Amino acid sequence: MLPYHRRFQLAREAHLIGSGAARGLVRAVTAALGVGPLIWVGAAAGIEDVSGAPDVVRLAGAAAGVAGLSWLLLAMVLSIRVPGLDGAFGGLLSLWRFHHRLGAASFVLVMLHPVLLALAAAADGPRVVLAVLTPSWQAWPVWSGWVALLLMMVYLAPSFAFFGHPRYQRWKTLHRLSAAAVLLAVVHGVALSRALPGAQALWLWGGFGALAGVAFVWRLLLSRWLSRRDYVISHVQPLAEGVVELTLDGPPLAFRPGQFVYLTPLDSALGAGCGEEHPYSIVSAPHEDVVRIGVKDLGDASHALLDVTPGSRALLEGPYGEFLPAAHQEPALWIGGGIGLTPFVSAARSFARSGGPADVHLVYCANDPTRAYYLDELKDIAAREPGFTVQAHYFAEQGPLSLEYLRANVPSYAWRQAYVCGPLPLLDLARRLLRDSGVPRRHITTEEFNLL
Amino acid sequence: MKRFVYTCFVAFWSSVISIWSFAALAAGGGAAEGEPDGEGAITASEVAEHSTPDDCWMVIDGVVYDVSEYIPQHPAPPTVMTEWCGKEATEPYRTKGYGRPHSPAADAMLPGYRVGPLADEQ
Repeated sequence: MLPYHRRFQLAREAHLIGSGAARGLVRAVTAALGVGPLIWVGAAAGIEDVSGAPDVVRLAGAAAGVAGLSWLLLAMVLSIRVPGLDGAFGGLLSLWRFHHRLGAASFVLVMLHPVLLALAAAADGPRVVLAVLTPSWQAWPVWSGWVALLLMMVYLAPSFAFFGHPRYQRWKTLHRLSAAAVLLAVVHGVALSRALPGAQALWLWGGFGALAGVAFVWRLLLSRWLSRRDYVISHVQPLAEGVVELTLDGPPLAFRPGQFVYLTPLDSALGAGCGEEHPYSIVSAPHEDVVRIGVKDLGDASHALLDVTPGSRALLEGPYGEFLPAAHQEPALWIGGGIGLTPFVSAARSFARSGGPADVHLVYCANDPTRAYYLDELKDIAAREPGFTVQAHYFAEQGPLSLEYLRANVPSYAWRQAYVCGPLPLLDLARRLLRDSGVPRRHITTEEFNLL
Repeated sequence: MKRFVYTCFVAFWSSVISIWSFAALAAGGGAAEGEPDGEGAITASEVAEHSTPDDCWMVIDGVVYDVSEYIPQHPAPPTVMTEWCGKEATEPYRTKGYGRPHSPAADAMLPGYRVGPLADEQ
């Protein structure tokens, strides 16, 4: 077994994206994919005779179609979820938020597209308007576009909570319809391309579509064999009511404290969630021989995982995330609540091997002392590390976290880099308290798993 | 943002249904698609007599069209159309000379310029 620092070094090199230059390249490629098609098509269209409102409306409708299709394809490309790639976007959670906004924008643009084209035909008479919206069957590429749009409505309805907050697994399965929608949309775009000659349209949309197809096939099929790795859940340690720590034996995982993995348990005795992947934070230190993750009962799958059979197999994919910095040289304020403590526990456990921080204050927010799992271990670590301080804040005794508490317990709290992880109400509260104290937005980093 | 997207979704269907209904009702009240009584077949030689930009007939898919009034509105330069005045123009209409067909909107405009069917010639 290689020493920890060497493993980490190798892993960093093996990671697709480590350096700032590589991240810049990823972002540049993303931007190129986002605006490139619109520029290409726009340049080919040229400044034709735009005479009158109908022409302007028609151009706007065509542009909406090009932009909508581009962003739909880019959203699919970004869903490839290769470990390490998310670093270029500030972590997987940031990347998911970007994907969500891209999807929303493309959806709105693709809805605008036929409406604008139909309106542009108004001057030519009602028969032409009808032909634009609902042409004969010979104009099958138009119908291909309609089916693509209808499919988008089906799988995006849960993403935008059309019928209330969706069930996670159902939403995930339905989202696979995006492949069919993308395929039909690309066919529509290639067949009806007016500005670009046939071959160029095929290269542009076919090439972009192929890239999206690769991402889809990787995410849904290939990653299972090439990216997910086999582990055995060797130990299940109860920490508190509804909270356990799982110990996983398997290949060394190179990660930074604060990162998370997608765990797919394969225990057939599980009440729910067998074969489903869910994200969990890593709570062990990178130098340990095992991977330990913290699980709290927050849904069907995590509830079942509390009773997982020791010795059963599981798949891990990761690591993902950009929450805590690699080194802790700057004064920092860590605020953790509930299972949100896990990234901080991982970091604290790593001090023994990688050296303690310069000046870190951890405020452990728990309901009461019985819910303060890991607190004893954290206090032991704090006793050994001069730069690390832990304080417990109990909601039952002291009410919600407050400015008075921070002022009294964390010296210069408003001058520190703040990292907050925990349930949404704690994140909102901490963010508000810090912003009210004049802490700039860029000094506050939060991590939460509420993605839907 | 979710509410905004849902609003766009509702607005989309309202718009599409309104536009489509309006157009369907307006088109239904207009000229019927069928052949008017007394419309005789037109021979190719008769079509060839209308071969100038101001008096331009052409044959597309076995139907003769008088596109004289349309030429100024054609998105491409007039010469691409006037080249075919008085002639059989199905292939150039279907391919525009570089393999791309005309849009469904263009197909829907054609009946408005119909003169009559092309006569079968042996």
